[in-house]
Amino acid sequence: MKNELFKALSYAWKSKNVWWYTATARTKARFARTTLGGFWLGLSNLLTIAALAAVYGTVFKVSNFNEYVVYLGVGFASWTALSSSISSAPKLFEINAPQLLNTNTKHIFYTLEEWAFQLQTFSQSIGMVLIGLSFFQNNLFINLLTLGIFPLINLLIFMYWFPVFIAIIGLRYKDFYQLIPIVLQLVFLLSPFLYEKETLGSYSWIADFNPLYQVINSLRETLLTGDLSLKKFIPITIINVFGTIYAISILNRTKKVLPFLI
Amino acid sequence: MIFLENVSLSIPIFTNETRQFKKILVNSVTGGLLQRESAEITRINALNSVNCKIERGERVALIGHNGSGKTSFLKVISGIYFATSGILKKDMQVFPMINKSFLTSNELSGVVAAKAHYLMVKGSKKGFEEYLEEIKEFSGIGDFVYLPIKTYSQGMEARLLFTILTSFKHECLALDEGFGTGDNDFYEKAEIKMNSFLDEAGTLIFASHSEELLKRFCSRGLVFERGTIVFDGLLDDALNYYHEK
Repeated sequence: MKNELFKALSYAWKSKNVWWYTATARTKARFARTTLGGFWLGLSNLLTIAALAAVYGTVFKVSNFNEYVVYLGVGFASWTALSSSISSAPKLFEINAPQLLNTNTKHIFYTLEEWAFQLQTFSQSIGMVLIGLSFFQNNLFINLLTLGIFPLINLLIFMYWFPVFIAIIGLRYKDFYQLIPIVLQLVFLLSPFLYEKETLGSYSWIADFNPLYQVINSLRETLLTGDLSLKKFIPITIINVFGTIYAISILNRTKKVLPFLI
Repeated sequence: MIFLENVSLSIPIFTNETRQFKKILVNSVTGGLLQRESAEITRINALNSVNCKIERGERVALIGHNGSGKTSFLKVISGIYFATSGILKKDMQVFPMINKSFLTSNELSGVVAAKAHYLMVKGSKKGFEEYLEEIKEFSGIGDFVYLPIKTYSQGMEARLLFTILTSFKHECLALDEGFGTGDNDFYEKAEIKMNSFLDEAGTLIFASHSEELLKRFCSRGLVFERGTIVFDGLLDDALNYYHEK
């Protein structure tokens, strides 16, 4: 297993130019016909954040609106990226079926290409959102580039291995993709992105055991406060390490049957 | 060298019944009360205890009826399929040319497909511009190369793919005759390129029903029948064996 993992990581590194390039080409092609290009993503996120903040800020009668906008904005932009990478995962191998059946490109390549695509989309979106939110809290970029970089890396790693699991389940079960939007919507509503965790009261354990919320919240807290909670950061890092190793090993174990499941 | 010892390939055919997540959920909440004996997965034995050794530089023809195991053999040695059992050892990279497929999605342009292939083989973008010019000129698709592949005609797509894939030398080539060259106008030009491409390949493993093609490029023949190699020897002898059968 150790050898297989090393081989997979070595291949990932050697082929980085290719999967990064094809992902970039997809990103460019996606916005080829729009005047604003990739900025549209960030802009649409900002507009959504503004609308949500105005409505829910009033509904929840928030005492500090500026803080709330940033809280909601960072959480929402991160959630959009994470949920997008999860919802596209079940069909990942099916979309790449012609290549998987006719070329000997390793299966991990397609997971890395998709990850790179999601990562590029996220960077365009969060960049624009942070610029917008800097009007409400001006140290966001400083926080991001100092301690914020660590939970950000954690979020990006989580965005790789978790969707790989979903992709493998989606490969095995043809109807799994139908379930994903429903589950994601439930997770979103049950996670304190629009509201503060304290409002959950005795149900706050729901957020404590929600890995999707935890990985985003770790980044959000660091950006908002400039402090990194090691108590939250270390467990997420450990989960990420094991998650990545396990996802790659499952991908390796599935390789024999993968072409026949497409 | 490519070495196969008792290599078998069993292809599972999954039915929709065995691939429903909802069914698992229902079974888990009903404690399995609604569970029926699940339909067994059908398996096709595409390769059965295949034994052979192909030395570097050999030019091997794969002969056999449709469904005899030629393409499965090519896919196993090139690493698209993985043997269910047996030993497969190889000390060279086998490049598959089995069906028409770019490395990238058809939503992307021909340039992207060409560059991705170039990066995969060369590892860097250095020299890509010259390569692209050659591709444009030989395939004859010109500036259409900048448009998404999905907008091409079938002929254009096949020409571009053929040009991209035959642009590099490979130490071992696993080729299926189903691999097309495009429209008729392109055929002659492609044939010349294909000949030099095959001549340059270090090792060639070629599945075809065309004796003319096999005789032109190969010297050894493997006859396949029901997933097993039933004859391994000189090409003429292999063809005679195949016809007598």
